[in-house]
Amino acid sequence: MKDLLFSLSAAACTGYIHDAAVLAEAELKKYATVTRTGNTVIGQMGDGDYTLLLDAHIDEIALTVTDVDEQGFLTVANCGGFDPRTLPARPVNVHTKSGVIPAVFCSTPPHLSSGEINYDSVSALKIDSLLGEDAKNVIALGDLITYDMRPVALAGNRVSGKSFDNRAGVTCLLELARRISGKDLPFKIVFVFSDQEELGCRGAKTATYAVNPDEAIVLDVSFGDGPDIGAYECGKLSCGGMIGCSPVLDREISDKLIDLAHEHNIPYQTEAMGRSTGTNSDVISVVGNGVRTGLISIPLRNMHTDTEVVDLDDMTAVVDLLEQYILSGGVSRD
Amino acid sequence: MIDLLKKLCLQDGISGDEGTVREFILSEIDGCCEWKIDPLGNIICFKKGKNATDKKVLMDAHMDEVGLVITAVTPDGFLKFTALGMDTAVLTARRVLIEGSVYGVIGGKPIHLTRGEASKKLPPADSLYIDIGAKNRDEALDLVSPGDRAVLTSDWAQAGDKIRCKALDDRVGCAALISLLKQESEYDFYAVFSTQEEVGCRGARVAAFAVDPDFALVLEGTTAADIADVPTEKQVCHLGKGPAVSFMDRSTVYDRDLYEAALASGVLCQPKAAVTGGNNSAAIHLSKEGVRTLAISVPCRYIHSATSVADVNDIEKMPLLAKQMLCDICGGKIQ
Repeated sequence: MKDLLFSLSAAACTGYIHDAAVLAEAELKKYATVTRTGNTVIGQMGDGDYTLLLDAHIDEIALTVTDVDEQGFLTVANCGGFDPRTLPARPVNVHTKSGVIPAVFCSTPPHLSSGEINYDSVSALKIDSLLGEDAKNVIALGDLITYDMRPVALAGNRVSGKSFDNRAGVTCLLELARRISGKDLPFKIVFVFSDQEELGCRGAKTATYAVNPDEAIVLDVSFGDGPDIGAYECGKLSCGGMIGCSPVLDREISDKLIDLAHEHNIPYQTEAMGRSTGTNSDVISVVGNGVRTGLISIPLRNMHTDTEVVDLDDMTAVVDLLEQYILSGGVSRD
Repeated sequence: MIDLLKKLCLQDGISGDEGTVREFILSEIDGCCEWKIDPLGNIICFKKGKNATDKKVLMDAHMDEVGLVITAVTPDGFLKFTALGMDTAVLTARRVLIEGSVYGVIGGKPIHLTRGEASKKLPPADSLYIDIGAKNRDEALDLVSPGDRAVLTSDWAQAGDKIRCKALDDRVGCAALISLLKQESEYDFYAVFSTQEEVGCRGARVAAFAVDPDFALVLEGTTAADIADVPTEKQVCHLGKGPAVSFMDRSTVYDRDLYEAALASGVLCQPKAAVTGGNNSAAIHLSKEGVRTLAISVPCRYIHSATSVADVNDIEKMPLLAKQMLCDICGGKIQ
């Protein structure tokens, strides 16, 4: 899964179409009947009246250009939540019509930054396009900007890079498709790689309407542990997928996932939430007449930075669990 | 020269650990000049010129770059570190490379979990840690040890005439010196590739003592603040307007004759319009009875981060200006 994750992580955008969506489409086509509309990839495997939708959002956090000044400095708005404190001197790529331009967030030299830096919003910071006066001719308003960071391996099976949120989830679903390919499936399975999650779970809403499933499981990432994070507000890396338990999730699905993990000795942990989950499951569950929805999250450190960290072993555990869930018939026979 | 600079920037060598950079430089200059390595690891070179001169000129560029030193490993397998010469405001959420082989990231609490006033402030530098993916202390100690050195990694990128990379300060100076050593020189000169600049100009201090020059040209990178939201009068120097020459910074009052000769040299250059920063001139100009010194600096934005930015035209002008200054000094133009 590592190679696939790395390819998806490093993929650029052409206009608003993420190369990751094109890549995922090609990969999923090996196992499923696939359509792609914009960045949304939908692939079907198996048949039947009962449909299980498996969702992983394929968009990544990005910025969009709102101004290009005479000296080539850009003002941007965010498409997804950035931490402005991490951005000064951060390398980024501007995805223009004529190709990818390397750029960097401005960072005021220490001797001039007496007083506090304003970290209120991304729009208060500027990006240096490196193009100077030529920038206006090359960069258009609305062009997307993403982190510029190639993925690398850390110790053990842990890896670091950008946009693992949620290319890690997409990678797991592609691996799952490969695993169940050729097997006797109990119902129709529809894979959805949805767009615009980072803008408010928009893509999943329309995709779910189109698929009209009976049941859905969302695969996303959630907060992994670290020395400065309370042990009770995060999951732990290398301890398996985090099975969501929340009032907006279907309790039987959560319970079934937990039972199967026990039965097959698959590592897992639970993520209990008091309200909504902040994932596509919040939206998918209330599409149309309503959809019974479950959630599994891969623990991930440094979310929304270009130094996200996941453990490939957790991703394997998630694929194992979803495979067992499907082969067991999910909650379709309840 | 830009290809050479790329190779230089992608070598890792923080202060006191310049070996990799030194080996690379030696492979470039060997056969072009006489050289020796002194006790602090400086490369001291003598370049024979076409013409004899009674003036001894030293040109300096430092090999070391800013970085991190690993100080401890926590029971959970995270690394504590101390920053060396770095702007600590740009350390959060960075990728590091330890001893050239182990990747890590400087981790932190995600903004989603950071509430209230804390979300508007940088975490204090001493709360930061490096995550190399180790699950515990033993696993971490299999890969790293306290005392190991790390750099903030960054790939080389170029757009138009601009370069974006780590360590431009001061591999731009090293590239200029190498190119001067590789070509024929009008006059004799000494070239020093110095160590430990970022921890107090220590290499240059002993190298200047050993060479005992009459004049020194310090080839450096310096802060350009010609960026959005910095008022014009505070912009220090500008990319694309040639190397900056200093009349004064925080540690040196430069030789006025050299400064004026540089501006009149016919090579595009600009005054460094602020009294900020410092460089190896601090140590060199006070060596023995004193040395008449000029700093020639390539303007760099975001200096002391892993993503500094410089202009190809300024980089290529630096050796031209240094060469002209050598001729002015040895040819008798400067008395």
